[in-house]
Parts: sequence; C-alpha cells; structure tokens
Amino acid sequence: MRVENPFIFERGLVVNVVEEAPGVKTYTVRLSGSYVASPGQFNMIYIYGLGEVPVSISSLPRRRGGYTYVDHTIRVVGAVTRAIVARVAPGSVVGVRGPYGRGWPLREAEGRDLVVVAGGIGLAPLRPVIERVAAEREAYGRVNILYGARTPEQLLYKRELEVYAKIPNAKLLLSVDSAGPGWPHHVGFVTDLIDHVDVDVEGAVAFICGPEVMMRVAVKKMLERGFKEDRVYVSLERRMRCGVGVCGTCQLGHYFVCRDGPVFSISELGEYFWVEGI
Amino acid sequence: MRDLERLVGLLRELRGGSTLLGYRVAQPVPIFGEIRGLEDLPLSVSDVQGPGYYRLVDGYRFRHTYGSPKRYLLPPEHAILVVKPSYEVVEPEREGGGVILFGIKPCDLSAIEVLDRVLLGKHPVYTARRLGVQAVIVEECLEPGETCFCALMGYGPVASGGYDLAYARLDRDRLVFKPSSKLGWELVERLSLREAGEEVVEEYLDMVERAVDTMKRRLPSLEKATSAFKRLIGSVEFWKMISERCVGCANCNYVCPTCFCTEIVDRVESDHATRVATWAGCLSYTYGLVAGGHFRRELYMRYRHFVLHKFLFYPKQTGGLVGCVGCGRCITWCPLGVDLREALKRAVEVAGLEG
Repeated sequence: MRVENPFIFERGLVVNVVEEAPGVKTYTVRLSGSYVASPGQFNMIYIYGLGEVPVSISSLPRRRGGYTYVDHTIRVVGAVTRAIVARVAPGSVVGVRGPYGRGWPLREAEGRDLVVVAGGIGLAPLRPVIERVAAEREAYGRVNILYGARTPEQLLYKRELEVYAKIPNAKLLLSVDSAGPGWPHHVGFVTDLIDHVDVDVEGAVAFICGPEVMMRVAVKKMLERGFKEDRVYVSLERRMRCGVGVCGTCQLGHYFVCRDGPVFSISELGEYFWVEGI
Repeated sequence: MRDLERLVGLLRELRGGSTLLGYRVAQPVPIFGEIRGLEDLPLSVSDVQGPGYYRLVDGYRFRHTYGSPKRYLLPPEHAILVVKPSYEVVEPEREGGGVILFGIKPCDLSAIEVLDRVLLGKHPVYTARRLGVQAVIVEECLEPGETCFCALMGYGPVASGGYDLAYARLDRDRLVFKPSSKLGWELVERLSLREAGEEVVEEYLDMVERAVDTMKRRLPSLEKATSAFKRLIGSVEFWKMISERCVGCANCNYVCPTCFCTEIVDRVESDHATRVATWAGCLSYTYGLVAGGHFRRELYMRYRHFVLHKFLFYPKQTGGLVGCVGCGRCITWCPLGVDLREALKRAVEVAGLEG
C-alpha cells in the first residue's frame, strides 16, 4: 500500500482577475486539462511561504486549448486571502489542489423547483449552480434566487445578476442591509425574501450558503413554509487544512466537512446544525 | 527476564535492521522511544498515576507514560511537502524503515487499530510508518493503574489480536507468553519456552478477571455513558459544569493515543518552504477558529468535542470502534487533573441512567 501524497498541488496560472466588490476579487486560474469539478466543491489554494486556504470553485470548469479554467472568488479575511487579494495578479502562479468535498446534489434537483439562497460571499459556491441551471434550463422547474449583501456595493457578480434576472421561469430577489436612495430592492435580511418564494415548496430543493446565523434563520423559515428537511441543503465552512479527512480540524460531529461536505442536507446534519459549537 | 533478553536478541536476528521502539527508562519520566537493550526497559518500576499525578516507585507493574506509539506513527511534527518558490513540489523523504513495537500495551495496540481506521491508506506519513512496523510485541497488564479503564472500553487489559507475541508478568520473575502470528509462534519455539501448565494458565486468567473487575467497578458501563452523552449533546449547562476546571492547554490531546488532528504550517528557508504538519488539540483555542470567525469559541464546546468525539463520533468514523481506549493518560497528564471518568459518571447521573 502506497498512498499518493494528497498534499501535492499543481501550479495554477492566474489568467484573469475581476474586482467584484471592495476586498473581493475573482481569480480565473488555468489548470491541467484533466481537472474536473462539480458545483459546490472547493480547492485548496496555496501561497508560497504562507499556507493554504479552502476556496469554493465559483464557476463551472471551462475547457479551452487543453486546459481547464475555473474561477475562485476570494474575500480578504485572513493572512493568506489578504496576500492573494493584495498581490496575486494575471500571470501569477498559485498552488492549487482539489477539487474536494461533495457539492450540491444537482441530480436530485432535476425536474424539481429550486430555491437558491445566498448571503454575502456565499453566492460564490452557488454561482456554478446558477450557471448550470441557465445552461440546462429545461432540466429544472421554477427557480428562485435570493441573494443578500451588506450594501449594494458589496453585491458580487453585479453584471451577471442582470443575466440571472432574465433566466426563463426564474425570479431573482435582492436584499441589502442598508442602501442609499434609489435602491429598488429589499432592505433588510436576505431571509426576509423567503416570504416571497413562489415555488412548489413541498417538492422543491433548496441550496443555501452564507454566514451560519443566516443559514439557521433561513432553514427555520423554509421548514416552517413546508420545505422538506432532506431537500434543504447548506454549504458549511469550517477550519479545513487537508481536504481529505485526515487532519481532523474541520470536524462537525462525526463528519469531516472537507470530505463528507461541505454540502449537507438538514436531515443529515440533525442536531449538529442547531447545537452551537458542536 | 532472561527470556525477554533472548526475545530482544531473536527479534534483532529475525528482523535485522529494524529499530525497537517501546517504553524506555528516562529522566524525569519514561519516554516512548528507541530500545537499545534490555536495560532500557522499565522492568523494575511501577508507575503510580492519578489525576494530574505521575511518579515511579520500585516494582514490576509499569503501565505507560505520556508518550505512546502515536509519537512514532504520527509524530508531533512531520514534513508533508517541500515547495520551491517557483511552486515546484518536492516530496520529502519518508522515514518508514523497519521498526518493532516492543512492550506496547493492549490499550496502545487498540489505539493503533483506531488510528488505522482513520489514517491508514489516507495519510502518507502515517501509512508509510505503519507499514514499516515489522513486529508487535505486547506487554499485557495484570494489575490496572488507578487511572486505567481499558476493560470498560473493551480494549484491555489483554491483547486479543493484531500482534505477534504478547507476554504478561505474573509476578516479578514469571512471564507467560501468548503468540498470535506465525512470527509469534516462531519466536516461542526459538525461545524454547515450556508450555504453561494448567495451574499457571488459571493463575493468569484469575489475574485478568480481577483486573477487569477492578476497572469495571469504578465506572458506569460504556453503553450507559454513550446513551447519556447522546442525551446531553445540547446541554450547555452540563458541558460547562464538567469542563469548569479545564484551561484549554490540550495536553490531553497530545498524550491521547488516538487523537490525530493536525495543523499545517510553512517553515520558510532561503530556497524552499517545508509544509509541516503539527499536532493540533481540540482543546486549543484555535480549534474551530477560521479567519472570519470561530466555530468553537467557548472552552466547553471544545471539551465537549473531545469527549463526544471519543464516545459518539469515532464509532461512526471507524466502523464501530470507540475512540477512547481507557488508558487514562488524559487524566494523569492534565495539569489540573480534569478527570474524563468524572464526565462519564456525571453524564450518567445527570441523564438519570444510574442503577
């Protein structure tokens, strides 16, 4: 028995950088052509001398000229992300290994209505879901996209949001915590928008990603509205170091979030979702 | 003792080049390390252990020390990758040369079984080192220490598989041997041991039974403790109460033979960085900390994870094995003497499962 060293990464060439919002940038990275990933999975991104961070893959992989290209939307939160946002530019090389984890169960959503709820940077791992739904529109029922940020300026993928709004048989609802005059959408919590969901709640699938407090409120409201526990999914953040379930730091109950998640149904999580700090 | 000396010699002959690892006399306390000869073994001492307490006295009942085979199989620091500034990756050299685990305890053997289920075939360093183990010689415990509860966990005090040869000390001078593999039988034959008579076997079994009884009398059953913990997952009050004296030093994690969590840090030198995995304890403040927040900010949450991981979560991660082997190290080496057995007892009381 010899184990392939799971910590080996490949050299990813950064080919494009888009500034999404203050302190948030999307990096398009060129990887080897054999790289594949599904919506909701993540990569470990390495910066020499500093370390690695887990980052959601924020696009569907794109194949071009023998390479695979994927996006990573990164917000400054700690040392490594600060270094990335400060100095990684087109032409930079970063270490990339992945993809890791279990993503959104899109297969299960086929033929059903779909509600996407995102708060802040939580839209990043859901963007490939929306891209997939837009590309294979007939495979899914009615779609509601609920997205909230602190301010209009903090909204990610601003131009793409206009495209999301035009997806047939879909509805995009936006919310910000505070806004100046002229903001035509909701002011308050993204979870307020759940009142305006117009899908078949009993049969619908819901994908939620955002701060954990927001997700708890969202799940509670959705279950009250009649969504089913085993079809409501959340994507969780934890301290992840290895990606393959050996370093142990991302444990949530008996799950290794990096390997068994990061996407879980509420029924899989049970009390782990509600007991703080488990 | 001559038999042990010949056993060491035979192992060297049959598994030439292998390093013997086991409990070794050292100051101020024994360590888990290389055994160079019989004089290194703690054969003429007994340990006295209690909550936050460890000392040695003359005797022949040595159980264990703060170190365990984990120190070799998953060392406190291990290089996992070497990276050039150009992001080229070089694999660090793996130590995985032959080793013989000599005189490890039944609790240690069980801990390795638990670690195997989590790491073997997945963790490159653990896997290389584990597969380098050429032979396992176990010393069984016929008198449990004060902090020992292996029997309660179903992991001791005798070895029941996964080793080559086990021995137990009936008293200072008499040993019984128990082979469990082809190598074990070969060793027994080469040592030209006499087959134990019925009365000796009976004496051995009596001592085992007494040891088991002693441990079982001290604590509620594993079944009860487990159901109590299940009921108490969400009881903030309970976890705050039993972690009251914990200071979050994570000593318990480091001495635990099954704790496996690691962090990874970059050690930068002029022309390369070494990615080094270091032990990380769930009692440390950083456990659950992420750049944007903290998932286990309060100490009781981290203490709860330590306990629930052992009793509720390991079984789900390992296909049924409880993560606590009952060695009691976390009790002995806790600077405040926080006692895991109290958690078991109090949980059963609070959940109303006594009797």
